[in-house]
Amino acid sequence: MAVIELKDIKKVYGKGLAKVEALKGINFEANKGEVVLIMGPSGAGKSTFLTIAGTLQKPTSGEVLINGKDASEFSSKQSGKLRLNEIGFILQAYNLVPFLTVREQFVLVDKIKKHNNLSKEDLNKLFDELGISELTKKYPNQLSGGQQQRVAIARALYANPEILLADEPTASLDTANVEEVGKLFKRLAKERDKASILVTHDPRLEKYADHIYEMMDGRMTQKK
Amino acid sequence: MFLAFKEIKHEKLRYGLIILMIFLISYLIFMLSSLAIGLSDENTQAIKSWNTEKVVLNKNANISMSQSILTTEDLKDAKIGKKEALVGEAPIVAKAKGKASLSAQFLGIKNSQFIYKDQQLVAGRKATKNNEVTVDQSFKQKDYKLGDKISLNDSKKKYKIVGFVKNAKINIAPIVYGPLSTWRTLHDAMPNIEASAIISQDSNYKYDKNSAKTYTVATFINKLPGYTAQNVTFEMMIGFLFVISLIIIAVFLYILTMQKMHNFAVMRAQGVPSKTLVNSTISQSIILVAAGVIVALIAIWITVIALPASVPILLTPAIMIVGTVGMLLMGIIGSLIPIRQILKVDPAKAIGE
Repeated sequence: MAVIELKDIKKVYGKGLAKVEALKGINFEANKGEVVLIMGPSGAGKSTFLTIAGTLQKPTSGEVLINGKDASEFSSKQSGKLRLNEIGFILQAYNLVPFLTVREQFVLVDKIKKHNNLSKEDLNKLFDELGISELTKKYPNQLSGGQQQRVAIARALYANPEILLADEPTASLDTANVEEVGKLFKRLAKERDKASILVTHDPRLEKYADHIYEMMDGRMTQKK
Repeated sequence: MFLAFKEIKHEKLRYGLIILMIFLISYLIFMLSSLAIGLSDENTQAIKSWNTEKVVLNKNANISMSQSILTTEDLKDAKIGKKEALVGEAPIVAKAKGKASLSAQFLGIKNSQFIYKDQQLVAGRKATKNNEVTVDQSFKQKDYKLGDKISLNDSKKKYKIVGFVKNAKINIAPIVYGPLSTWRTLHDAMPNIEASAIISQDSNYKYDKNSAKTYTVATFINKLPGYTAQNVTFEMMIGFLFVISLIIIAVFLYILTMQKMHNFAVMRAQGVPSKTLVNSTISQSIILVAAGVIVALIAIWITVIALPASVPILLTPAIMIVGTVGMLLMGIIGSLIPIRQILKVDPAKAIGE
């Protein structure tokens, strides 16, 4: 069973002449252990897709199934809980809390979600795996773009979610860092059995994807 | 609380400036409150030390003891028991040779009545002769000593200071206690003039005959010259300071919140509940106010110690408690405005920005 499935998702903004159909009947699914890329130009509907798949907003019609449960009818509180437990968000640069050190970013999750986080050992292992063990006392503004992104990935993984949703994860990275992040997502999908869904413009990530979807004018087609 | 503390620790300058503003306002509130209470105390110190409940004055004296004259005729049916005392009040200028002139209030009293008996001496003894007086201890600050001989107004007669008394101020002026007969002399009073007032410690005391009329102590105090106007002025200033502190806290927190909207959206997107962000903002406000108020309390305490005793300032536990609670309340109310914005944060805004 797909860990996340979107069925005939439509999203309409505005009314009358100002009406915009951002998504025009999207069907999508992703399984554990897969890296899925969502590609397309600006304005194609990628961000809207991500916000609906991540339960940040409700679709106008259609179903969002997370582990078989229809999340499109969830209350704001239920959606928040779902995001905290089952979805790891990796947003564009500057998505770390600026006044918390790297370690404190994880303490914050501990404070909110009092159980089911990684053990200290596993967290240290994750730090090692992502190469951020030496950065735990630094603030986000003391890190490079690549380091920030690795910390963001570690934080998304800390709550041990099944789904990783990444918004332009390589937006401000040079080629070496892009390769590193691509490999990392691939490894996380395979070794940690996550469904990694990456919304990106970046063709350099294509080689790490199991499936590639292309979005254009609110419609989605599978390319790979 | 975790987020609130961490953010303040990280943004020391920004939050330090807010704490500085809160400190200045709190300090001003404590200072004005202490001055208000200090002045109020100096207006009413003696009246309160007598445990006054009722005051009988001439009904045409506009409830002013220094303007009141009660004659033998007025008092012929008055019951003067253990809880009543006759007082004659006259404004004077006291002066001893080589010492500064002091504006004071002469209070003529009777040795057999409670005001004389209950004088709280800090040095010396009570006056027993017609040429002896006891004076408020503030005379000591002007270098007056036991045994000094003072003249009252331009009289040639000298009066010997035989005791210093505490809690002996009225209308912000120190009191010189002496016999009622001396008051009559100072007043150039006719032989039938007995006193200015009857002071009673009995809340049921009433004597409304002839020209005499009984007033409650609250009515009497409120009619002390300048007392009500002075208190209302202070209350207005303190009230405005609370309002200003509320506006400052609300504006600062609102601006800071608006600057953090993207962070809040990111945290909401990651599943951080609104409740956590709201608690953080309220905690932040409480921490900022508490820090500012604590520093202000320390500063006002040092100020009160450092100020000369002649400054009528009185820092009481009530001022500290009411001021602190008031400021914390302003902090909590001030944080409610940004909270509205936090509750409206759209986590979808975290995407694509």
